[in-house]
Amino acid sequence: MRTELNRRSFVTAAVSVAGAAVMTPLLAACGGGGSKHKTGANSAEGVKSALPAFVASTSVAADIPSVTGADGAMTDPAFLTYPASPVATVTGVPGKGGSYTAVTPLWGTVPPAGNSFYTAMNKALGITMEMKPADGNNYATIIPTMTAAKKLPDWIQLPTWWNPNFNVGELAASQFADLTPHLAGDNIKKYPNLAAIPTGAWQAGIWGDKLYGIPSFSTGFSIAGTTFYRRDLLEPKGITADQVKTLDDLMALGKELTDEKAGTWAFDDVWTYLFPFFGVPNKWKLTDGKLVHKYETPELLEALDWHYKLATAGYLHPDAIAGNNADANTRFYAGKTLIQGGGTGVWNLADHQSGTAATPGFRRGSFDFLTAKAGATPSLFMGASTSLMSYLNAKLKPEQIEELLAVANYLAAPYGSAEYTMVNFGVEGTHYTRVDGVPTANDEGKKDVQAQTYPFLATASSVISNPGADQVTKDIAAFQAANVKYLYKPLFWNMNISMPQNIATIDTAQAVEDTIKDCYHGKKKVSDVQAAISTWKSGGGDRLKQWMTDNVLSKYGTGQ
Amino acid sequence: MSTARSERGKSTAGRRTTGKNGAVRLNWRVRLRRDKTLLLMTVPAVVLLLIFNYAPLFGLITAFQYYDPLVGVRDSEWAGLAQFQQLFHDPLFWGALKNTLWLSLVQLVLFFPVPIALALLLNTVLSERLRNFIQSVVYLPHFFSWVLAITIFQQMLGGAGILNHFLRQNDMAPWDITTNPHTFALLVTSQAIWKEAGWGIIVFLAALAAINTDLYEAAAVDGAGRWRRMWHITLPGLRGVIVLMLVLRLGNALTVGFEQFLIQREAVGHESADVLDTFSFYYGIATGNYSFGAAAGLFKSVISLLLIWGANKLAHAFGEDGLYRR
Amino acid sequence: MSHSPTTVREGAAQPGPTAPAPAPRPARTGRPRARAGRAPWEEPPTLIGQGAKGITLAGVIAAVAVPLWIIGLTSISTPGAVNRAGGLVIWPDGITFDAYQQMLGDGTVRTALMVSFAITVVGTLVSMIVSVMAAYGLSRSESFAHRPILTLLIVTMFVSGGLIPTFLVVTGLGGYDQWWSLILPSAVSVFNILVLRSFYSTTSADLIDAARLDGAGDWRILWSVVLPTSRAVTAVIALFYAVGYWNSFFNVMLYMPTSAEKWPLQYVLLTYVNRGNGLPGSVNSGFGAANSQTAPLTLQMAVVVLTLVPLLMVYPFMQKHFRTGVLTGAIKG
Repeated sequence: MRTELNRRSFVTAAVSVAGAAVMTPLLAACGGGGSKHKTGANSAEGVKSALPAFVASTSVAADIPSVTGADGAMTDPAFLTYPASPVATVTGVPGKGGSYTAVTPLWGTVPPAGNSFYTAMNKALGITMEMKPADGNNYATIIPTMTAAKKLPDWIQLPTWWNPNFNVGELAASQFADLTPHLAGDNIKKYPNLAAIPTGAWQAGIWGDKLYGIPSFSTGFSIAGTTFYRRDLLEPKGITADQVKTLDDLMALGKELTDEKAGTWAFDDVWTYLFPFFGVPNKWKLTDGKLVHKYETPELLEALDWHYKLATAGYLHPDAIAGNNADANTRFYAGKTLIQGGGTGVWNLADHQSGTAATPGFRRGSFDFLTAKAGATPSLFMGASTSLMSYLNAKLKPEQIEELLAVANYLAAPYGSAEYTMVNFGVEGTHYTRVDGVPTANDEGKKDVQAQTYPFLATASSVISNPGADQVTKDIAAFQAANVKYLYKPLFWNMNISMPQNIATIDTAQAVEDTIKDCYHGKKKVSDVQAAISTWKSGGGDRLKQWMTDNVLSKYGTGQ
Repeated sequence: MSTARSERGKSTAGRRTTGKNGAVRLNWRVRLRRDKTLLLMTVPAVVLLLIFNYAPLFGLITAFQYYDPLVGVRDSEWAGLAQFQQLFHDPLFWGALKNTLWLSLVQLVLFFPVPIALALLLNTVLSERLRNFIQSVVYLPHFFSWVLAITIFQQMLGGAGILNHFLRQNDMAPWDITTNPHTFALLVTSQAIWKEAGWGIIVFLAALAAINTDLYEAAAVDGAGRWRRMWHITLPGLRGVIVLMLVLRLGNALTVGFEQFLIQREAVGHESADVLDTFSFYYGIATGNYSFGAAAGLFKSVISLLLIWGANKLAHAFGEDGLYRR
Repeated sequence: MSHSPTTVREGAAQPGPTAPAPAPRPARTGRPRARAGRAPWEEPPTLIGQGAKGITLAGVIAAVAVPLWIIGLTSISTPGAVNRAGGLVIWPDGITFDAYQQMLGDGTVRTALMVSFAITVVGTLVSMIVSVMAAYGLSRSESFAHRPILTLLIVTMFVSGGLIPTFLVVTGLGGYDQWWSLILPSAVSVFNILVLRSFYSTTSADLIDAARLDGAGDWRILWSVVLPTSRAVTAVIALFYAVGYWNSFFNVMLYMPTSAEKWPLQYVLLTYVNRGNGLPGSVNSGFGAANSQTAPLTLQMAVVVLTLVPLLMVYPFMQKHFRTGVLTGAIKG
């Protein structure tokens, strides 16, 4: 066999490869259609004409009503009770018997295909919807392959934090259905539940001045996360949230609470949700009319310095330093760490159940927004009004789009309505029973009713509700109410900036982010981060700033 | 493969009515008609390879584009060498390359001698039954999938695995093996040894069996002990195989188990687990940046070909055949 | 030579295209030592040497056998036994087959098992038909155009477009979410064809020539002469292919990640055991439960065992032929 591959046969091989040139049309066949999408952002007039009207819903009154803050921020309404006889908001069956597929991410347990809940939902919606929940942890790799194969489903959820990965701006232009004619202005009044979704959330679904996305779980209190603490363990020590006002106060807790011998560390990773309090902008800020990237701010270095000290002083749990984030909650539940950073999504009923299972009396608390200097007014930038956005396929006919929008209207029914009960709890008797008036899932319900399926296609705006754990609801509502006045809109808020690929890669700045991570784990010095930043700036950071100035700032303004 | 065969072919060519032994010199039309069934038989394999192996070669064009799957190869914008420029400025790419080379090196040093040693050891087992038994056992993991092999490792050595459970029960500090980025090279090498070293002994056993026993006897009669015999007869007898295997390994240096790393990437983090193949997957397909990934893939292919070529040169320098002859 | 997971299968590609070239002797014959015990000129082994050897070999066997024992035992242990052991079970302490009953009753694993079997059977059939035909078609050294075709085959062992171009071709042909994308892109292993071919052109050669003299056509020769005389090598190659199909998961991840009902067992193993997601149909703890309940350990281990069982069933019949399979490709003629 070794005689085969001599030089002569390499030549023949080259010839036969040339013969394969007939295969090229095959590759070209991947192409066709597809317009070049425009990069940049939405124009103010475009947004105005694409936005739907807002008509507040007159549904169940919240037990703890919404509080309005500055800059349009508002807390989520909270509910402690569940209506005894849910009211229907939709008359008749929304669908007309069409068949569709939907893909949504799911972090957790996939319900079995064709289960009784899906069947019941199909009946209630009047369509045959094939739900295809996909592993949330791999969603970022699944969607691009699906896109490349041009096998996008009829209805798909694309969480907004992955907008750059999925290049949603381009997908919208060529693959998704333009909802503007159906929903813009007063057209949305056909769908009253959708019309009750606040305007800001719809704005996040606008690409190229047209409306594409349907928001889920929109909120007026949009923050990435916060710094949590073990309220049940700290309060007996006399430590309460109102004593911790500044970052120095927080640092002081490190010494007080860390007890290595007992296997207790004061802190788990806190960087992600703490650095803004040093005055670091979300990504950009405007100084004298010029863009400044957060990497260029001295505040970032201060923040790094603080975190570096925290880690090197030994207040940070070693597993956190080792990069083991998967067990962060386990450590927190077990009391091995007492303070942790976390997304706001952690704070809910399931968390309460897991926590109390590990330590009876478990109570999660959150510090209020902190300041670098004592006596200063804290502030924090808001995130987009929603992080969950679903899209319809451009291949759908107008009447199919109408049918699915009617379905979305059903799914977006407000808290406590008959539709909300159906989507979230299933059929009474089959999937849930009432315990003390609160719908409580039975075994069938726990198996089949997965909250990360239909609600990822459309929901009303967020509410705080943790049936059976009212303390959690009250704590969250109090935290939001105490801090809502400190929220502000950052530069380019809700603007859906769409970048060309090479600029997007610079924007990600993976190398700098990796060095920052090493720094707040105490493995690299602040000066190393400075070096990484200057490499980044010369390797493209300056180009990014130029691009942002030319294509966004000067054309579309700051979005404020 | 074929000098002996073609001689035999000639001698039996008498089956043809012409009885001429110059079968090869027949007019090509005649040969085509005569061999059309044989050609037909190769068609499915050829077609499959053309579609799934050769057509992708043309897909490498995408490495020089800003390829956009929604637009297609024909209409995508040309990038020239921009993707490569970006690649060479990407610290993550250099990290992946560094990991690839480092992991290859560790595997070469730690993995490569194991099958040889195992084969030598096994060769001294006299009972044929016992030898067969051991062989069946050590071959087995080769047939396990990486998913399975890694699951087994996790269950044995992972944070909740049997080893750490034992350590915790005895008040010892648990030992972080499966998620520790710093010892990842050792972890994957031991996985590779566990899974493939047994299978690797087949070729060495065969080579050992081919060594003429008379040589041993003669040496023994001359008073050479077992170690001297191993040094002067066994190892030289294995030299050809060892060099060949080494060449194969070197040629494959940039291809360290894709699936193995893909599965464990989450556990230890991309910094230590990303090799060129996973880099191409995660920063190509997974971010929709196909051209970038294709460029990384092309870079790897070219370097690999150079390595194969270089490894062969090396083999020739040792006076061995390598993959192909000089 | 870039490793394209869609085309290179383990099992088939080992130990490389050109295995060494030992004399083509049939296994275990002609070596007096093999049966007759120690040769008279060999010195008797030392006690320490024997002991060290024994320990090493026992260790090697234990490295394979112990994990399998523990996993197998855990899969058939009672929940009580698992609780008492605090995890994996080392000594039998209450046996039950509940996990298997539950699993085979559960939609996901049962479907996955059937999918795996279907892919393996169909895939192996396709691969074998294509490979046997190609190997025979190329086995006559003087046949028309066999050399360029052979080269065309062999080049693919060294050059490949890589992951992304292959992906683009398969999806370009509409392979996303299609069964064939799990089979056809990796249906041909050139190494396996070479092994078969070299077997046909040596071992079966005389019989083939004789049949030709009798005027038999090529299809007939392949069917009634070549295949019956090369059962062992055919079986081994079929095993290599089958193992490749049985073990593959990456194609699934790439081409059908959202179609849970089409997932084979390996992908189920990856998702629910390795990544610790809850099994479909198991109880989940409600909205926002990122860390939902993982499947009970016994169930997880039962999935592990299920992926192993088919292999263990054919393995004993196959393993004596491995040598033939691996080394035939290497015989230089």
